Amino acid sequence: MKRLVSALLVGLGVILASAGCAGLYPADPHGTLSEVTGGVLRVGVSHNEPFVSVRGPVPSGREVELVEDYARTLDAEIAWTADGEEELVDQLEHGQLDLMIGGLTNRTPWEQKVGLTRPYTETTDEFGQQEKHVMAVRKGENAFLLDLDEFLQSQGGQS
Amino acid sequence: MAAHHNIENEPLPEEVAADLRRAVRLEWATIVCLVLIVGLVYAVMGNSQAMKTAWIEDMLSFVPPIAFLIGVHMTRRPATAERPYGYHRAIGIAHVVAATALLVMGGYLVVDSALKLITVDHPTIGGIQLFGTTLWLGWLMMAAMVVTAIPPVILGRMKLKLAPPLHNKVLYADADMNKADWMTSLAATVGVAGIGLGWWWADSAAAIVIATSILKDGITNLKAAVAGLIDARPTSVDNKDPHPLLGDIDAYLRGLDWVHTAGARVRDEGQVFHVEGFVVPRAAELPTPDRIQAAQRGLFDLDWKVRDVTITPVRRLPSVLEAHAGPSRH
Repeated sequence: MKRLVSALLVGLGVILASAGCAGLYPADPHGTLSEVTGGVLRVGVSHNEPFVSVRGPVPSGREVELVEDYARTLDAEIAWTADGEEELVDQLEHGQLDLMIGGLTNRTPWEQKVGLTRPYTETTDEFGQQEKHVMAVRKGENAFLLDLDEFLQSQGGQS
Repeated sequence: MAAHHNIENEPLPEEVAADLRRAVRLEWATIVCLVLIVGLVYAVMGNSQAMKTAWIEDMLSFVPPIAFLIGVHMTRRPATAERPYGYHRAIGIAHVVAATALLVMGGYLVVDSALKLITVDHPTIGGIQLFGTTLWLGWLMMAAMVVTAIPPVILGRMKLKLAPPLHNKVLYADADMNKADWMTSLAATVGVAGIGLGWWWADSAAAIVIATSILKDGITNLKAAVAGLIDARPTSVDNKDPHPLLGDIDAYLRGLDWVHTAGARVRDEGQVFHVEGFVVPRAAELPTPDRIQAAQRGLFDLDWKVRDVTITPVRRLPSVLEAHAGPSRH
C-alpha cells in the first residue's frame, strides 16, 4: 500500500510538473484544437430550424452563425458536412468531424458518444419545456471543448 | 442511556460508556461531513470516471456510521425472556451489511471502470462559468478532491483510537476506511490531472485503483463479520490476533485453587463476550455452587467485555479446547 501511495504521489508530481511546462492545459488526446487553429474546422450540420438549415446552398441558422464566428476566432476555414444526426455522431466518434450542430440539447441521447458543451442558450419548445442548447465535439477533446465553451459563454445572452 | 446497556443489569464502566458516547458523537459528525462532501463532489463530478467512483465511495461511507449507530442503539436494549442473549449481535449484523455494501459496490466499480478502459472511453470535461470567466471544470474537481480528503482522515484517526477499547469492529472498519480516504482523493486527483494532459486512460486507471481498494475493504470486512457471526474465536479489532482476553480468561480459570485444568469457549457478540468456561475440578465434590458463582464474578471483574458467563464442571475438556490447554501447574 505504501508503494502504491508513493507511486501515485510521484505520478501526481510528474503530471503537475509537465502541466506547468506545457502551455496548453487541458490537452486534447487527438490534438483537435491545434489542428483546427489556422486550419480547417470540420463541422457536421443536421437540419433543425431555426438553429440549422441546410435548405440553401450553404448552411444557415443561429448555430451556423455562431460556428462561423467561432471559426473566425481560430482563423479557421469551415468544411460543412450535412447529414442525419446518427451519421454525424458516427463521423464525430471516428474523428472525421470536429464539431456537430443541429439544435442539440443537453438531454440528447448521444451524450454517451460525444462531448457536449455547456448550454449556451435556453429556449422553450412547443410543449412548454425549457431546452438548453449545446453543441457536440469529439469525446475527450477537452482543450477544444474548453475553447469552444469559452467562446460560447462570451456570446452568452444572444439566442 | 448506557445504564440499559447490559445483560447482568449492570451499567458499562464509566470510562467505556464515555468512549461509546464519544464514538457516537464522532459518527454523527462523520455523517454531517459526508453530506457536505457528497454534495460538493456531485456538483463538480462531470464526466470523470475517477470522480464518479470517488463519489460513490463517499456515498458508501454512509453505511458504516449508520450501521454503527443502529447497532449500538440496538445493543442498549436489555435481554428479555424472548431475547435471553440480549441484542449484542446487532453489531455483527451491522458489520455484515456494511461489508456487503462495500463488496458489491467495489466489484461493480472495478468492472465499470475496466469497461471504460476497454471501450477506450475518452472522458470529456469542459468549462464551467464561474464569476464571469470560463474555467476548466477539471481544476474544480481537483480542488474538491483536495478539500474533501482532509476531514475523513482526521475523523478516522479519532475513531481509530476508540475502536480497540470499545472492541467494536464496525467502528474500526469505518475508521480504517476514513483514514485511507485520502488515497481515494489522491487517485481521483491524479486521474483528473491525467485527463488534462490528454491521457484519457488515466481517469479509468485511477478509478480502478479506487474501486479495488473499496473491494478489498469489502472482502476483509465481510470475512471478519461472517467469522464473528459463526462464532469464530474472538480476535482483536483489526482481526489480526486472537483477542488477549482469551488468554486471561483461561489463565484465571486455571488459577482457581479447586481447578485441575480449564478452558473457555468465547463468543464475540460484537462489543461484548459471552464465555462458556469448562473446568476440570481436582475432586468431584469441589465445584460447589458458591465456588462456581465466585469464579463467575471473578470473570466479570476481569474485563467489562465479559458480559455473560456460564461455568460447567466437566471430567474432560471439550476436544477443541484440550489441544491448547495444558494442566495447571501448582
